[in-house]
Formats: sequence, structure tokens, C-alpha cells
Amino acid sequence: MTLLQSFKNAVRQRSIHVCYVDTGSCNGCDIEVLACLSPRYDLEQYGIYVHNNPREADVLLVIGGVTPQWEDKLKMVWDKMPEPKVAVAIGNCPISGCVYNRPDSLTRPPAKSYIPIAAEVPGCPPRPTEIIQAILSVAPLIFKDWEIRR
Amino acid sequence: MASVEWIKTFFFAKTAPLITPSHFREFPHVTDKECTHCFQCMMICPAPGAIEVIRTEKPGEWKPVIHLGHCIRCGLCVEICPELVLDSGRVHTKNAQDGTYMQFQFHITVNPVICMGCGICSVACPVNKEIDPQLAAKGTSTSDEVIMRVYKGINTVFHEEKCTGCKTCEEQCPNRSVMVARVLEPLQITEEP
Repeated sequence: MTLLQSFKNAVRQRSIHVCYVDTGSCNGCDIEVLACLSPRYDLEQYGIYVHNNPREADVLLVIGGVTPQWEDKLKMVWDKMPEPKVAVAIGNCPISGCVYNRPDSLTRPPAKSYIPIAAEVPGCPPRPTEIIQAILSVAPLIFKDWEIRR
Repeated sequence: MASVEWIKTFFFAKTAPLITPSHFREFPHVTDKECTHCFQCMMICPAPGAIEVIRTEKPGEWKPVIHLGHCIRCGLCVEICPELVLDSGRVHTKNAQDGTYMQFQFHITVNPVICMGCGICSVACPVNKEIDPQLAAKGTSTSDEVIMRVYKGINTVFHEEKCTGCKTCEEQCPNRSVMVARVLEPLQITEEP
């Protein structure tokens, strides 16, 4: 590995840009993502920045059991993100639909049937610590030596 | 020297590490107590497909299995289990401290407007079949010990407290007139004066 590559890896681990998309959740998980930004958890000390713009994001947080309106649009958001990119499912809803996954309900889970999901954080809602740990553990794996693996 | 100290704190300052306190209600974990497969945890669970009581490889041994991605960490299965097989956070400690416990029963509602009195529900009910063999053979029952049966052309509920909440009647009803609701009540042991 070249010196430049190791420098890139080190910098990438300290600069993760996050975009979150709410595909029809109850807002419980949104509040937990918001809590990550609070001084109690302080996302930015780990170099994670929330932008809410898929064009400059590295990590996409998918929240909510996918509603019929989001079936095609979730793929559109995913396609707008530049490489290298990774999607993390937050909460039970994008994983299984959980309590909303009943007959005749307007949810179409799981989210991984629309976009590739690298990590899933179970919980209803998951704790901010679990969300931060998931992002911190999955992002370096995806971004490390990306130029070489490409 | 002060400037060295300042540079250190400026670059390497960290807030508290990401540790979940032990009293938080985590996903339930199975203790080494023996499961009697009464299925109360499965009956009380509000999330579909979150808990299953399955037979292990050892003969005669059953164990509850929590499915992540379905479990919502409500802790009801931990509280309801009579053998304290599951454990999570300080649920048991708090229950022992305050003398609180959970109890649930099932409430059967028959909508008289859309019920046509066909009796499919009372024939399908597995508890009814045990109480009255006539119903097990798809016959007509005259017993008053059954949960429900067609009485004078109207579907009548006799013994609601015997219901185990399997919802077979709800599924079998062609008109969707039977509804089984779980009534959960938290109770506290009152001390006698």
C-alpha cells in the first residue's frame, strides 16, 4: 500500500458524510438520529457530518418501513450518491416491517429489496450509541482501499 | 508546558465512550432456568415474529428465541414468564422491589349484526374440542362449559376466561365477525393491613 493510500484511508475514517431518508417511519428512529447530534453523543467528534443531501453523502441511513410511494424513489436517492457509498438500515421497520408488517398495511419492507443494505441496526428505536457504532464500524470497511478494489 | 497540554486536549478530546448502562432494557437474553413451554411469551409479544419457543436438540428441552429486527425491546415477555427464563436489564429487580406483575386474558367480541350463526368458530376452537368431543366431531353441542357455541341461533360466548388467544375462530370466521382482543393488566401485590 502506498503512503498516499494509507493517508487517504486515515482521512476517510475521520470524515463520514451522512444523509438520512425517512421512508415512512413513525418518527421514533428520526428522533434517535437527531439525538446523535446532541452534546450527549456528539457525532462530530467521530468525524461524522449530517448533510441530508445524497449528492455529497457517503452513508445513507434508511429509516422506516418502505411505503408504496417510496418503492421507486428510494432507488433514485441511492443512485444520486457518489461512489464509494454504503446504506445502513436504522430500526426494525426497514429490516422486517415489524409491527407495521400486517395484512393490508401500506408498507413494503424490507428495504434491502430495493437498495443494497450493508448494515442493519435492530431496535424500535435503536439507541443513538448503537447507530453511531454501526456507522463507525461499517464505513471504514467500505471506504478502506476503495481506489485499489475498484 | 501549558501550550502542550492545550494542544493535547484540542486534538484528542473525547466525550464519554459509547457504553450502554447495564440497567437499560436490552434485547431479552435466555438464562439457564428451565423453560416449561407455556408459550405465554409468544402470546404476549406485540411484534409479529419477534419471539419463538422452539425445541432444542436435547430431548424434552425448549427454549425461547428472540429474533432481532422484529423485537421492539418492550420487555413484556420478560415480565410475563412465570419461570423467569428470560432476563433483560433490571425488569426482575424492579418487579421484586415493587411487587408488580402482569396478567392477561382474552376478550371475545361477536358482532351480532354480521354474525350469521354458522358455528364454524365454535367448531374450530381447539379448547372447545377438548371440552366437548361433540364439537370435535363437528357436531352440535349442548354443553355450557364451552367457550362459545351457537345458542338459539345466536353465537353466544359462555366462558371467556378459558380462551388461550390462538385466534383460530377469528381466522375461520367467513364474515370476520369474531374479534379476539388481549386485555393486559399490570397488577401490584397489596399488603394486608
